[in-house]
Amino acid sequence: MATLSTSCVDKGPRRSVAIGATYEGRDPYLLERMLPFVDYLEVTLETIAEVQGDTIALSDEIMSELKNVGDAAQIIVHGVGLSIGSHEGMSPTYFRLLDDFLEQIDVAWHSEHLGYTKVDGEHLGIMLAMPKTHESLDLVCRRVDEIQQRYGLPFLLENIVHVVPDFPGHYTDAAFLNALVERTGCGLILDVYNLECDAHNQGFDIPVFLNELKTEYVREMHVACGVEHNGFLLDVHSQLARNSTVQLAQQVIGKSPGSVRVVVYEFMPEAIPGLGHDAIAEQLGRLRTTFRN
Amino acid sequence: MDLAVHQRKLLGLIRDTYQVHPDDDAYIHGVAHSKDLKEARRNVFMWRIFVLERTAPLTFTYLKRRHLLEAALSTFIQQENISPFRETQAPAFLEAMGHHTDRLVASVAQFELALMKVKQGAPETHVVTWDIEPHALLKSLVTDLPLEGVPREGNYQIIVSRDVPSHFQIVSIETADENRNTYRGD
Repeated sequence: MATLSTSCVDKGPRRSVAIGATYEGRDPYLLERMLPFVDYLEVTLETIAEVQGDTIALSDEIMSELKNVGDAAQIIVHGVGLSIGSHEGMSPTYFRLLDDFLEQIDVAWHSEHLGYTKVDGEHLGIMLAMPKTHESLDLVCRRVDEIQQRYGLPFLLENIVHVVPDFPGHYTDAAFLNALVERTGCGLILDVYNLECDAHNQGFDIPVFLNELKTEYVREMHVACGVEHNGFLLDVHSQLARNSTVQLAQQVIGKSPGSVRVVVYEFMPEAIPGLGHDAIAEQLGRLRTTFRN
Repeated sequence: MDLAVHQRKLLGLIRDTYQVHPDDDAYIHGVAHSKDLKEARRNVFMWRIFVLERTAPLTFTYLKRRHLLEAALSTFIQQENISPFRETQAPAFLEAMGHHTDRLVASVAQFELALMKVKQGAPETHVVTWDIEPHALLKSLVTDLPLEGVPREGNYQIIVSRDVPSHFQIVSIETADENRNTYRGD
């Protein structure tokens, strides 16, 4: 079983916030370009898994690559398929893959999204946010407790984009997150691009949200950028992060100095040819310059 | 509304398989008539585009070239239980497209799926039938260049097997002289 590691990778002068990036394997040149700028590599199990006969399993090739990263960066696992909010239960396949991953590679922590991707075993094809009700909070808290007991590792949950109008529940978004972390002790990932999408698409009030959120529980932040389509800002992670997104991340970090451990630049593997390795490396270099002070 | 009911109704709305009832609550009515829902469906569509363009390139390109992609993908999304595991999406898509009413779409998809399985180590031999000589079409799809001329019509098969050099061989079944009418993949 993986051991908890809390040390930052030494890459020169100590900085307040480390830098991380998505890495989904099979692109050694990209990895080589990114490693000088990152302290953490974010790995998504669903992306590094492959079909092996009748089952889904971690790619041996990618696992070897990740093992070879060694001390150059720490690994953090960020899932999309756990479906922690599905009424019928979480994904057993996700647990099997996570068990397998953690048997082989030490991770700093692992994380998922506060939402659901399946209903009665039927996949939505997208992730939906939880209704902010007492029932939802109880369900998610029970499952977070279960996950933390199972792995004995820090576990973080991320705010997701609201792709349909929010259900008028018992809590505001911030109050729901506050109650979740206070009841379970889990940490938060704050994806500031998701906040920007919600502000653009739904009129979400970011300052009000941040004022209410207990940002001292935010351990990780995500920056990314997608495209606008039919007036909607899409959470597709296909672009370089905008200045406004980076500034919003700085604002959150400034609100609770010392809480946020890492800022992760997220991009999907399908976007790499369009973005280019050099642009990704330059993006990470800029983030490093911005957040190390 | 309890969580299970809430989630089932939203699943139906996302997939466009749920008809809103007069007694549904105001929230479900609001979602059903929102621009957000239409865009959410479009979002699902775009995610599939991103993944399948990379993982099922031959069939994706052929459908796009024939202006059949949007309809085929919309049907796939509505009817199939699409896993979040990226690598499962292409086999599921190709399996579905292998039953497409357009015989050439079906042949391209069956060939791409068979090749994928064989490259992953499957021991079976697959035989895909074609109504045209497939080499020119496949070459144009692989290179993403326009098809040169009109493919010759005829009865052809592609044998896909790990025992065949480069994993596949095109055979004309109208002549016994296979040596003169075969093409091995590279």
